[in-house]
Formats: sequence, structure tokens, C-alpha cells
Amino acid sequence: MLKIACQEQLLPGETLQTKWEHATAAGYDAIELRGKGGLSFRDRLPELRRALADGVVMPTVCVDMPHFIGAFDDDLRRDAVVQMKSQLSVIAEIGGAGAQTPASYGMFSRRLPPFEPPRSAGRDREVLLAALTELGEHARAEGVTLFLEPLNRYEDHMVNTLRQAADLIAAVGLDSVRIGIDSYHMNIEEADPPAAVLAAGPWIGHAQVSDSNRLQPGAGHLDWPAWLGALEAIGYQGHLAVECRLAGDPGEAVAAIPAFLRRAAG
Amino acid sequence: MTVLLDPAQHGPGRHHRSLRAAAVRVLLGNWTGNATVPSRSLYPHQWSWDSAFIAIGLRHLSPRRAQRELESLLSAQWADGRVPHIVFNPAVPCGAYFPSPDFWRSSTAGRPAGAPSTPETSGIVQPPVHALAAWLVHRADPAESGRRRFLARLHPGLDAWHRYLTAHRDLGGRGLAAIVHPWEPGLDNSPAWDTALRRVPPAPAGSFRRADLDHSAASDRPTDLDYARYVRLAADYRDAGYDDARARFAFAVEDPGFNALLIASEYALADIAEAIGADPAPARARAVRRTAALTDRLWDEERGIFTARDLHDDRLIPVRGVAGLLPLMVPGLPRRITDALLRTAAGDHFRLGEVHMVPSYDLTGPEFDPSRYWRGPSWFNTAWLIHRGLLACGAVAEADRLREGILRDAGATGFAEYVDPHNGAGRGIRDFSWTAGLALDLLCGHPERAR
Repeated sequence: MLKIACQEQLLPGETLQTKWEHATAAGYDAIELRGKGGLSFRDRLPELRRALADGVVMPTVCVDMPHFIGAFDDDLRRDAVVQMKSQLSVIAEIGGAGAQTPASYGMFSRRLPPFEPPRSAGRDREVLLAALTELGEHARAEGVTLFLEPLNRYEDHMVNTLRQAADLIAAVGLDSVRIGIDSYHMNIEEADPPAAVLAAGPWIGHAQVSDSNRLQPGAGHLDWPAWLGALEAIGYQGHLAVECRLAGDPGEAVAAIPAFLRRAAG
Repeated sequence: MTVLLDPAQHGPGRHHRSLRAAAVRVLLGNWTGNATVPSRSLYPHQWSWDSAFIAIGLRHLSPRRAQRELESLLSAQWADGRVPHIVFNPAVPCGAYFPSPDFWRSSTAGRPAGAPSTPETSGIVQPPVHALAAWLVHRADPAESGRRRFLARLHPGLDAWHRYLTAHRDLGGRGLAAIVHPWEPGLDNSPAWDTALRRVPPAPAGSFRRADLDHSAASDRPTDLDYARYVRLAADYRDAGYDDARARFAFAVEDPGFNALLIASEYALADIAEAIGADPAPARARAVRRTAALTDRLWDEERGIFTARDLHDDRLIPVRGVAGLLPLMVPGLPRRITDALLRTAAGDHFRLGEVHMVPSYDLTGPEFDPSRYWRGPSWFNTAWLIHRGLLACGAVAEADRLREGILRDAGATGFAEYVDPHNGAGRGIRDFSWTAGLALDLLCGHPERAR
């Protein structure tokens, strides 16, 4: 049975409770939270506890900050690790499954000038392994999982494919670090996205969905039945979290996604 | 998925869910970008009737890939209309499969008959189940089919394919398509071909090297002597430029399975024609004529089954094979014939419902071998076709039992190529694409009301 989550900013309403009403009416099973920096996600705990008490299902949080665990700048990188630790603790506190982050976003692309990053690939790997190990140990202690999200080549220069993410996670050696896949990035980076899902199957812990053009599923040209079939084949039990931009009327677009995905899943 | 796999509807729901996931894994794993290989090890290219059966399963997983499967096969069609039985993948080393591209030499030897300059293909054919597959693929997602103009683009090729078989392969002159190589009906080493094949001088030992035994047990595969005759027949056809008028066929047989599938595909082609605003009448007329010829020429009243006719002496070959049951899916057969077929299927020779699926050859026959390829083992594609035929004849309970048996055997053997009909043990290779595809098709609900 497909479980579908919607990121909170896509849903209408001021409170999580109102958003939840819209989400369930459209056929969603959960809300994916967004975790901003400055420990503001921790500061939302009272709000999240009330929502939890009111029945809102919130299994995951996706980081929403300007810097990440693979930042070139040591201070920013340290802060990103602190923020992610806090987000893992908060999501654990409300009974969730884990928190998702890329290695970086918008910091550097080998496909755009000046093409050569200021840090070597070897050093990239060192800082990522250090951060993932520290966060993985923290996640394990909290009973949750850190999801590492490969981004496409224009948004990150370190982790673009499922295989690269799996290699890093294998080196970390902790079950509490898994891949958080994203259909949009996979469409750019993977030669055969369903085959990539099969190959990385044991490493996949979370999935986000948007179409080939970053719009809502159904608005682009991804082969959804094949992609969802691959998740079914690996026995994926997590949520599909909708993270996308919207074409057309936003309310209608968001409301149409669950039915579209369920039909595509056969 | 939730509705189709509702346990209340289909019994062991959890088992079916895991079987479905496993079938999907095989189909995704054997996909190469444009088509599906029957097996990553033994069969590394695209096979004609495999692709049709695979597409029938793929339509439930990815209608787009199912369409591509058939489109890529048809893109290698020859100008004379024939759809070659193998389309070679140029990225695979030449020695990975025998007979290889440099044996068939389609782009040179087949040039006068209209072989494409690329890709390389074989020069013989396999059963024409493609129009049926195309129609089923279309029906799975008419919107995606329409968006890609799938039927409109495929129809001319399918029509040319059927016209080739009608115009060039009616070697007996009585309205049936003849096969000119035991590989053409798909049932390569069936005992039905033994007598006719014995007339063929084998190719000299050492003039070729089999590749199939690298991946499969010799006891599960055709013998070396059979193989030498297969090679001889193919080489002679090649040396005649694959010209059906010029070639002197040492082997020419009218096969009931091949013709039954052509009839079913003619009806599907008529449906396709209707859907795109073309004239369905020619395909329907061919289907009706061929059905009459099938009954006139290949019905073996004494044995209660259709048998093959050897064009060498124009006599029926007295061998009961699974191909003789496939006309169950042909619309418009006299009731007395379908009733007799149902009795034969349930009788001592095939024991439908008592053994695993449907044996490829007479269980009581002198040549029966439960392990060797088409000389006894039960195959999933013929079982799927007979399931369809049983439904068409209204034998719903028998069809449902066969469906459960197919799913059980597919799951228990890891999607084997074929199984021992007595104990269900898997034979040949595993993760076989059409086994996974047809299991997926049966899991995804009952087929459209068969004609």
C-alpha cells in the first residue's frame, strides 16, 4: 500500500491541523516537515506536539537551510551538523522516522563556471564521512535515520547518484544512515532510474517525488509506473514525500497528486 | 494494486504481493533501455515472441516500456514483412550466442529479401503473437497509447508481418503458414519435428560451436545431433538469400500453434485497425479463412487434437504436442472440436489440473522427457495461452486452477524457463523474462473477456 506524504509548505492553512485536514481529504497519509536553521525546528516542538496529539502524522523532516553538512566553510559545516542533530532529536521526539539532507545545495557545480571546486574530491569525502558518521551515531542513539539525498550535478558536486551515496554510507557502516532518493534528481543523473532503485535497494530509506521538470508528479514525463514498480520490488515501506513546485492552480495540483501516484503504481 | 491484490478477491494476498514484487524485479532487471532480454545470461539479445509475451506483462508495470518493447522489435522488421526471431544487440560480443550475427549475415545475405543494414538479425521467424500483444498493451493504458500514437505507428508493420506470412509462407498452398525451421514455432526440439528433421543432413561437427551449454545443463537442452541439423537448415536458408520462393526447404511443416496464434493476432489486428480508423475487414477475412484451413488441414479426429502436417508427404504428424491445444483460443471453432480439445487436455496425455501446468509433449509418448526443453517440460507461455483459451471456451474453473498453478510454479522456481510437469522442479535458466511477465499479467487480474 502506497503511503504518500506532502511537504507542509504545499498545503493550505496556517496550522498543521488545518493542513492535515486538507492533506487527508486529498488522500495523503502524512505531512513531511521542513526544518529551518537557527534551531528553529527545535523551537517548534510545542506546535509539533500539539499536532501529534491531534493526530497529524509527521514521519520525516527535510532540511531547509542555506548551508549543509558538506559546506566548504568549517563554521557553516559545524553549524549544519549541529542543526541536523537537533532535527534528528526533534523528529525522534515526535515519533518520526528520520531527517533528510543533501551533502550541499547550491554551493558548487562542476558543470558551471569555474568548474573546479576549491576543495579536493578526497577532502570532500573526508568531511562527508566525518559528518555522516557523527550524525549516524546520533541518529542511532535517537532511534531514527539520517537520509542522505543525492542532488543533480547542477545543484551539488559531491553526491549525485544513488551509487555515490551508497558508497559513502557503506564506508560509514551505520544502519542509521540511508539514502533519501528524489525522482527529479534521479531523472537527470541515473541512466535507468528503476534499475538504479533496484541496485541501491538495501540502502534506500526515504523517497521524495517530483516530476522530470520539478513540478508535481504527472506534470512532466517521468515513467512513474516503472519507478514506483522498482520501489515496490525492493519492498520499500516508507513514504513518498511530495516535494515539488506546482503548475496550475496550487490547491488543485496538490490535491490531485495522491490519486495520480496510486493509479501509476497500478 | 490495492484492489487487484485484495486477499478476498485472489486468495493468498500476501503471497501474491511478494510474487508481484519479484516479477517486477525480473522485468526491471532484464530491461536494456529499448527492450528486454529473455535472460541476462543465456539469451542476451531481443527475441521475437519473447518480446510479445514480455510486453503483455510489462504493460502492467510500464505501458511506455511495453510499447517500446514492441516498437524496437518492429524496427528490425525486413522490407518483405518478416519479423526476425532474433534482433542482435551490437553491444554484446559476437560469441555470446550461437548462431551469431556472422552466421545469419542478415545485412548481406538477407539484403535482397529486405533485411535492414542495421541491426543484424536472424533470418527465420517466430510465432506471430505480436498484434495480440500490441492490442493488450494498448488496452492497458489507452491514454498513453494515444499520446504516443502507438497503434497508428505499429499497425503498418503488423499488417505487413501478417501479409508476409500469408503471401510468402503458404508453402502448402492451402491457406496455412508453414514453418521452415524447428525454431520457428518456438517449440524448438519438440518430438513433433523428429521425423521431418531426420531427413536433414546435419552440419559437420566442428563447423559450429554451441553457446547455450555454457549457461545451461546439457540434459535440459537439445542434443548435439539435433543442433547440427538446426544449423544446416538455417545455413541452407541463408545461402538461398532467405528467399522463400527460391529456397528448397528440407523442412516444411504446418504447425497448429503457429497458425492459431496468427489467427488470434489477425483478430487483434482488426481491432487495432478499427481503433485507428483503418479497414478491419482484410484481417478478419484472413482470420476466418485461416480458421477453416486450420480445421480442414490440421484437425486430427482420431487423437482429438490438432497436429502438425509435414509438407514433405502432406500427412499429419502423429504426435500430440501442446501446440495442438493452442487452437482453444481461436474464435469460431465448432463446439465439437473445442469439446474434444478440452477432453484431450484433461485426459492421460496432458492431465490438465493434475500435473504442473501443461506439458509440452504427450505424457505417455515414447519420447517424453520431463527435463529436456520442449520434449516434456511445461512452459509458462503455452500455459498462459491455454489459460486464455480455456476462458474463451467457458472452462472457467479449469482456467482458474491453471492460473493458480502458473503463479505457484513461477514463484516456487524463481521464474524458471520451464518446469518438470510431474514435480514442478524448475529447469533451464531462472529470472526468465516471459515467465515473470506472464505471471505479472495473471496477477493483475483476469484478461479481457477473451474472444
